Amino acid sequence: MKFIKALAIAAGLCALSVAAEAKTQVVWWDFLSGGDGVRMKAMIQKFNAENPDIEIQPTTLEWGVPFYTKVQTSAAVGQGPDVMTYHLSRLPLGVSTGVLRPYSMDELKAVGLSESDYFPTDWDAAHVDGKLYGVPLDIHSIILYYNKDALKAAGLLGDDGLPKGLDGLDNFNAALKKLTGGKTQYGLSFATAEHGTIWRIFYTMLSQQSGDFLKDNKILDGDNLQKAEKATSAMADWVAKGYAPKLTEYPASIALFTSGKAAFHINGVWEVPTMVDLAKNNKLGFDWGAIQIPTLFDHPATWADSHSFAIPDRKGNPVSKEKVDAVMKVIAWMNKNSIMWASAGHIPAYKPVTETAEYQKMQPNATYSSLAKTAVFDPKSKIAGVASPVYEATANYIQPAVNGQLAPADAVQQMRDELQGDLK
Amino acid sequence: MKIRLSFVDLLISLLTIIVAATWVFPLYWTVVTTLKPEYEVVAPGVHLLPENPTLAGYIFVLDHTIIGQWYVNSLVTAGTVTFLVILLSAGCAYAISQLNFPGRRLLYGIIVASFMVPIPALIVSHFVLMNDFGLINRWGGIILPQLISPIAVMVYKQFFDAIPKEFREAAVVDGAGEFNIFLRIFVPMTWGVTAALAIYTFILTWNNFLWPFLVATSDTSMTVPVGIVQVHEAFGVQYARNLAGAVLAALPVAAAYLIFQRRVTEAVMLSAGIKG
Amino acid sequence: MNTADVASPRRRPLRREAADNRTTIARRSGALPVLVFVAPFVIAYCVLFLYPTLNMIELSFTDAPLIGAGKWIGWRNYQRLLGDRLFTESVVHTLYFVALTVVPNTALGLIFAMMVVRLKGWLQSIVLACFFLPYILPSSVVTLLWGWMLDFQFGIAQYPISWIVGSRVSVFRDPIWAMPMVAFVTIWWTNGFNVLLFIAGLRNISPELYDAAAVDGAGRWRQFRSITWPLVWPVTVLVLTFQLIIQLKIFDQVYLLTQGGPFNSTYVVVQYIYKQAFTLNKGGYGATVALFLFAMIAVLSVIQLQILRTREAK
Repeated sequence: MKFIKALAIAAGLCALSVAAEAKTQVVWWDFLSGGDGVRMKAMIQKFNAENPDIEIQPTTLEWGVPFYTKVQTSAAVGQGPDVMTYHLSRLPLGVSTGVLRPYSMDELKAVGLSESDYFPTDWDAAHVDGKLYGVPLDIHSIILYYNKDALKAAGLLGDDGLPKGLDGLDNFNAALKKLTGGKTQYGLSFATAEHGTIWRIFYTMLSQQSGDFLKDNKILDGDNLQKAEKATSAMADWVAKGYAPKLTEYPASIALFTSGKAAFHINGVWEVPTMVDLAKNNKLGFDWGAIQIPTLFDHPATWADSHSFAIPDRKGNPVSKEKVDAVMKVIAWMNKNSIMWASAGHIPAYKPVTETAEYQKMQPNATYSSLAKTAVFDPKSKIAGVASPVYEATANYIQPAVNGQLAPADAVQQMRDELQGDLK
Repeated sequence: MKIRLSFVDLLISLLTIIVAATWVFPLYWTVVTTLKPEYEVVAPGVHLLPENPTLAGYIFVLDHTIIGQWYVNSLVTAGTVTFLVILLSAGCAYAISQLNFPGRRLLYGIIVASFMVPIPALIVSHFVLMNDFGLINRWGGIILPQLISPIAVMVYKQFFDAIPKEFREAAVVDGAGEFNIFLRIFVPMTWGVTAALAIYTFILTWNNFLWPFLVATSDTSMTVPVGIVQVHEAFGVQYARNLAGAVLAALPVAAAYLIFQRRVTEAVMLSAGIKG
Repeated sequence: MNTADVASPRRRPLRREAADNRTTIARRSGALPVLVFVAPFVIAYCVLFLYPTLNMIELSFTDAPLIGAGKWIGWRNYQRLLGDRLFTESVVHTLYFVALTVVPNTALGLIFAMMVVRLKGWLQSIVLACFFLPYILPSSVVTLLWGWMLDFQFGIAQYPISWIVGSRVSVFRDPIWAMPMVAFVTIWWTNGFNVLLFIAGLRNISPELYDAAAVDGAGRWRQFRSITWPLVWPVTVLVLTFQLIIQLKIFDQVYLLTQGGPFNSTYVVVQYIYKQAFTLNKGGYGATVALFLFAMIAVLSVIQLQILRTREAK
């Protein structure tokens, strides 16, 4: 019968692919796309070429909730990858649902990695209850991309090629006003329809006021609520006054900057390769630069998170020792070669690489690498991190407030009430 | 009066054609977009035909995704489900229609009532069950929960009931057993129904999204409709490529419909309980 | 015409013949043939249908995660359901979606069918294919297609939108537009099915009735009201019932177009089952929501059937 024949052919094909296995295959899941994705694919190819006995088989899934849901359901049924990228901000949540497998210090030692190789804040964020669950790869943050030509025409560019007069919210808004209308349509573009972007800017502004989002198990307690409202109003103001476009998708917000229609662009460091590649191919049409987010409030601070490598805790089918050894070799190689990853705009988590001359010369990284000193990570809680109740609340409350669909005071209050309820 | 009527008729017919063309325009527009190079896709203005037609989008999808593997998964699962549904339903309907056994009416009643049970409501139980069988992320896991088709049983029973009893009586007199009667008389006489139901079931199973989406935990087990929206390649938003993947996903079922148009429409009406 | 076979299983004109078939060989029905024919289906049915349904009921009384056992917690999941704001919202959204699709989809199906029936030959085949082809496509293809058509930056449908509204609209990010647009995409996708059914119904109306009415001087509208509408009513009932049951189960289009957003304004019940059971790993609570969906569909279908029956009796 036709179907048995089809089954036989399919089985034969599977057998063929299995027979070709002489090297250890590492199944790798990540959520890296865009400029990040291109760089990581190149790194994986380089690894496979340099290490003939290990082959990384990568799959890229959709960033955010879809990725983390798939990881969770797979681990629960004993399936899933051997290694995956995982945001450090989400470690508490991941560990609480039993998805992650802790590393032992011996496993790190066997490939020449140790605590002293990493920045203290990063190393701390990689631990839950004293155990290491993610080996950091990078620290990434948001920066202010700017159009040098547009700023020069508006008299906002210093002789060193850096923007001037942006510190302080009033000064920043005045600059935006100057740059809106005319040759550049918008003073500033950012993804007003994407909750991740909104959370990052919100948290940056809150931290610049020395505000605490979550402390002593209380969300936005005391005057932190007003600080949150101030941050939300600042963003809502930009949209209401027309300095920034409403309800704009992530790719569209980048397109506005790269086509010269927006003078400033706030986005993650991971879009640096996009700008670099466009400039190299003469497709940008203007000189660009990037600096740390200006101090709009009391003191400098920027939101930061970290990509790390994690091994899933697969129920009933744990990752074998042979695979773990291969994974550790992969992780070590990735860390030691993270200068390649730095070209994606990230700050390598592996200290030895950041101390090399080659890294310290890298542009535009060198211009904004100072942000690492005042970087603030997400609160360490199982309601926080990527694809968590905090991110969801941002999408449901802060995002509509920014786009003028909800009053900022109501937004922060409802956000607080909902998250406080989740904490119980 | 006659002339005036035909003019109105002509107008309505023209309107019908215009409406139909507008209705199907999105399909045309999608296919045209997949044949354009990316810079033409994002160029301002509306260009109904590609100026520099290219297959680059399709080539990219074929080279950079495992759509071939997804095709195999879809073909195997849809084919197996179709085969088993026809087999199980025809057999059960034959017994209910032709054989006398206790609980016959109760069984049929339960089958008819289950038509209203929403399959999406069972996803949690099905997932747990497939895990117990160790079939998560495998063809079996995708296939099994899709095997229940109360409608197929109802349709077959209707047609088996309609076969004149003389055929059966003659066979019985000749000493034929039940299997023979089923295979030699009832199956051939309802071959049209079988063809229609088979093609329709194949199309519906191919198109199923929710269940394969849940069960395929790794990308090598996904079916085509699931794969094209789940796996993101490192090329960001490239419209021609994404749509090329969509076209490739729809090609088999669209072809099945266009070739077997009559059978599919027949199956649709059968499954609604309409003869006509 | 057995158009009401599904709606009222009692009308079975062939029953007597079927009974005769059986009585002639009643003595010969051994257990073996019956078992062989019936057992595979019944076993599959019990394992894949009855058991999961019962299991779901049991799960709803526990706090089990998706995989693994849980403790018995009695009615706690149900109590939680009553106070769950997102759940209530998802029910409201589902009903809103049903209101946006069931009647318009049926009405449009009838209108298109009446238009198609007038054509003849190959022209009719082509036009019918135009309406039916969308129904053949997988849901993910439909959503990719319309995502492209309605793309805020480059979508061709933004031209008519900006012409009507005055500016481009990011339809799936706007809480007012999102659900109606999902409904619109759904209607485009599934309307062909209704058109087909209505064509069959219309073809069953004898043309002599229209000729006689025309001779009597009845205009088009009068003909529709007195002949077409009443005679196509059984099909209308069928289509409305189908539509109701199908649209209450919606998941694919919402998940793929809006993921329940913006700001949860398009969250529907099946998606809530998915979120609770698969994303938040609460199998027991997810089963409770699923049972509610089950009950909601049953109750609404029965209510609708009763309403339609009483209208028919009038």
